[in-house]
Amino acid sequence: MSVLELHGIEKSYGRVKALNGVSFTVPQGSVFGILGPNGSGKTTLLSIILDVLSADKGHFTWFGKPGSADTRKQIGSLLETPNFYHYLSAVNNLKVTQSISGRGDERDIGEVLQRVNLGERKNSRFSTYSLGMKQRLAIAGALLGHPRVLVLDEPTNGLDPAGIAEIRELILQLRREGHTIIIASHLLDEVEKVCTHVAILRKGDVMAWGAVDDVLTDEDVVEISAADMEAIRKLAAELPGIRHWKEDEGMLHLHFTRGGSDTEGINRFFFSRGITLQHLNVRKKRLEAKFFELTGA
Amino acid sequence: MKILRTEWLKIRSYWAFWLMMLMISLAYPGVNYLFYNQYKDLSTKKDLTGQMLKMLVGNPFALPETYHTTAFFSSVFLFIPAILVIMLVTNEFSYRTSRQNIIDGWSRQQFLLGKFFDVIIISALVTLLFAVFSTVVGLVATTGTVPDRWSGMRYIAYFGLQTFSQLSLAFMFGFLLRRSFIALGAFMFYFIILENILASYASYKKWNWGKFLPLEISDRIIPMPKFMARLNEDGYKLRMAEINEFVIYTILLTAAIWAICFYIHKKRDL
Repeated sequence: MSVLELHGIEKSYGRVKALNGVSFTVPQGSVFGILGPNGSGKTTLLSIILDVLSADKGHFTWFGKPGSADTRKQIGSLLETPNFYHYLSAVNNLKVTQSISGRGDERDIGEVLQRVNLGERKNSRFSTYSLGMKQRLAIAGALLGHPRVLVLDEPTNGLDPAGIAEIRELILQLRREGHTIIIASHLLDEVEKVCTHVAILRKGDVMAWGAVDDVLTDEDVVEISAADMEAIRKLAAELPGIRHWKEDEGMLHLHFTRGGSDTEGINRFFFSRGITLQHLNVRKKRLEAKFFELTGA
Repeated sequence: MKILRTEWLKIRSYWAFWLMMLMISLAYPGVNYLFYNQYKDLSTKKDLTGQMLKMLVGNPFALPETYHTTAFFSSVFLFIPAILVIMLVTNEFSYRTSRQNIIDGWSRQQFLLGKFFDVIIISALVTLLFAVFSTVVGLVATTGTVPDRWSGMRYIAYFGLQTFSQLSLAFMFGFLLRRSFIALGAFMFYFIILENILASYASYKKWNWGKFLPLEISDRIIPMPKFMARLNEDGYKLRMAEINEFVIYTILLTAAIWAICFYIHKKRDL
């Protein structure tokens, strides 16, 4: 069952096309990364599904229904920057969030503030917070009332390394608890570490989407080496299913289609030709390489 | 009720709101008390000046005329609650909470309805304050038996309508311009300078449209008080006869202001 379905979403700012027919589906229980370089349309897309911007064309559904105020109440969201009343404390800001969304109660406010380590500063004014604390408060606001779905736009922005690790662990914990989480990020590492699914955006186009393993690895790469590198280089072309190969740092990298590598067969192939391999290792194609390939970054 | 509760949560810890309310509470009675004291000082003189003043002006602060007189003087100070209204709406844009409120689950109409309630409440508080102090001034200043002593109370309703209309206009400045300094500057320039110039110029040229400028429309429901009419009796009678007509125009203008704001908010990106 899907939580969110997007169908041909388009958005332009004057002559600049920000989104160009974006379509994908977010499965329930997934951690869905929207990955793309700066300016690829991630925040615009999230703004549309949260009704801050209107799409020029296309439509979307939350829980099988058109997006509305009622569906947004079931979603905890952090969009772009932490937006709170500067003169109010963390607690009073979350009371406003609670009053609007109907999510949680006064006890929940204390709990979510503890969860993001703001318990000691809960009565301080928002204007006195550091950037990292503001980001934590925004995450607390999104977590209020245990919403089924979370939408987090660059959730680790402004956090120090320890804070980033905490938020990632929190996301994984929420995933284990069965929440569906949609994360927009330009950080490959973030998506690789926490997401189950991904959509890759480039200049408003979806380059690929699906399960992370399906999208970000389309090749098996087998690393081999032997005492006689010249001999294995000559024989590589005869390997069944091989697409191409290259030599790097004393290893020969053999590229097969995804799932097409057979290490036992490769070992037997070379052994039967009198070559004993010293090194044999299967690697998925690196996410980074795939990301750059897809986005042209 | 939930919208009202949320607006209360936003306002109750906002010191600037309470400071402005304090200023309003002091400014309105203060200015009327000043005029009343000046009148009392002059009119109690035993010399010719005192006697002439009493004969020409009567007692503009006695019931029932007090409501008209104090409403006229108080309307000059509507820019103070207007500043408060502009601050409340531009805060939502500068803090980007206008977006966050929608993200958290309000519809765009609910967000604007919250602001509409803010303007209603501020108008109601200002009008209540006006009603209390004008009644107190009237009771203090009235001597002897006066027929129809409460007939001037309709000016409380006129004052309330004028306040709501002009604060709605202030809201529109804040809503459209979004930035507090720009909105405050533009509104004050229009309120104090531009519309007065336009209205005076139209009046000088005998052009009728000057009566239909946004602030002038609601200004005409509280015309000059009776004691000032000694200088222009015909003008006074004409302005008094126009009140009902301009009540309708004020209601229409105010409804149009809010309809435009709701329409724009529904359509525009946040």
